[in-house]
Amino acid sequence: MKDGGLENKKELENSKKQSNSSKFRSKSDDFALSIAKVAVAQVCESIGFQSFQHSALETLSDVAARYIYTLGKTANFNANLAGRLESNVFDVIQGLEELESGLGFAGASDVNRCLANSGVVRDIVHFVGDAVDVPFAYDIPRFPVVKDRKGMGSFWEKGEEPHGEHIPSWLPAFPDPETYATQSTVGNGTMSGSNGVKTGLVRVEWKVERPLLNFQQQFARNGNVGDSSCGGGDSTKAKEASNSNPYLAAPLHFGEKEVDVSPVVLPTKLSNEVASRDPIPENRFLGNQVSVLETFATAIEAMKSGICEYDGSRQKNVLYNQRPTVHFKIGIGKKSLNSAPYFISKNKDLQKIAYWFENGNEKDDRKRRAEIFSKESMECSHESGQL
Amino acid sequence: MSHNPQSSDGKHDDDSTLSDFLASLMDYTPTIPDELVEQYLAKSGFQCPDVRLIRLVAVATQKFVAEVASDALQHCKARQDAVVKDKRDKQQRDKRLILTMDDLSKSLREYGVNVKHQEYFADSPSTGIDPASREE
Repeated sequence: MKDGGLENKKELENSKKQSNSSKFRSKSDDFALSIAKVAVAQVCESIGFQSFQHSALETLSDVAARYIYTLGKTANFNANLAGRLESNVFDVIQGLEELESGLGFAGASDVNRCLANSGVVRDIVHFVGDAVDVPFAYDIPRFPVVKDRKGMGSFWEKGEEPHGEHIPSWLPAFPDPETYATQSTVGNGTMSGSNGVKTGLVRVEWKVERPLLNFQQQFARNGNVGDSSCGGGDSTKAKEASNSNPYLAAPLHFGEKEVDVSPVVLPTKLSNEVASRDPIPENRFLGNQVSVLETFATAIEAMKSGICEYDGSRQKNVLYNQRPTVHFKIGIGKKSLNSAPYFISKNKDLQKIAYWFENGNEKDDRKRRAEIFSKESMECSHESGQL
Repeated sequence: MSHNPQSSDGKHDDDSTLSDFLASLMDYTPTIPDELVEQYLAKSGFQCPDVRLIRLVAVATQKFVAEVASDALQHCKARQDAVVKDKRDKQQRDKRLILTMDDLSKSLREYGVNVKHQEYFADSPSTGIDPASREE
């Protein structure tokens, strides 16, 4: 039990990841699982249960889904074994017998039995006869919905001539040359009159994002500390972090999200209490990249409010009374996850800002985090000991 | 040879019962909806254009869930009866029947599904140890 904690956790996580990814549950399965939960709850209600624990319901619905899946798999296997593609009723009955063989059914030991009068089927017939007809509670559309995707048009479809004889015309066409972004065209992020192809637009935004990020990095390195939104060039990381862990994003209270745009941002706002939330300096330089930054702004806000809630209830009272004084910590999302409560409780602005612009290695990061974690756990244990 | 007519009749009967049953399935609406069953069957590679088979699978699953749930209900009631004292008989039994993880894991065990639940979680590896030995 000494080694207990961390090592086993990692192994468990790894094995969980492997088993989950290779087999059954995926994110796209959530809808089906929730429907299964409703159905199973209805069945339980007809049996006589009046309420249930959430974990129990989830487990049972998961088991039911796996039952269906296993039945289908076995039936398909039996059909393939017989040289068929499509399963028939006997394949299904064989699958049922296999699943019921654990508990046994009438006639299981009979070697020469016929599938048509199998005990399993008889049990089901009895069940249908006895059971009350309780239809499902909701109307479900057919799912999964198959989207009609329009791919990139081919040369032939677009009416364009391929660039050389070696390119057949049925291949997808090249994107417009104007969409190729370079460092020098940062300021001119305008999209030339594109053909109106949606995928082209998406690519333009993505390609223009890249130079934008480089631009931000340059800003940071030049020491433009007045611009709080330029801290580090890792806005994508922050976005990914907030995207990957939605539980970090706390729900916004009414009025918390300020979208107003202040006209002037002084570079000496460093020592002020409330930094501006919007990327106005960027707006001056980069014409139509506002949308990109705005999306980052919301992600960063989510990160900020998420950081407040991260470290448990004993910090909560402190945090809700004080609004965080500085908002943007792009790229230090990872670091600040553990250190934010530290700072907010100490409330030292300069320390925060110095922390932003440190280019610490990830290893130092982990060491720091480990130290902080062990300190906090020691504090916890001390407190509990004193109690 | 006298076997055969009987057995063949028997087979016909079996087949007819089966086909009758499948036909009757179309009248009965199982609680588990068809779309859900189709989703999981498609995931497993099961291919069949016949709706009756899908109903069959749905009914079989419903039966399975019902059996597990009824076993869990019996466990739940057995536990309540054990707790009940003589004076407060009726009051205790009016308590709600809740599907708990405990009962569920016991009943699923019989079906070969091993659902083991953590009994408790500790804050750190040194929780619960005497303060003297922890400091060491």
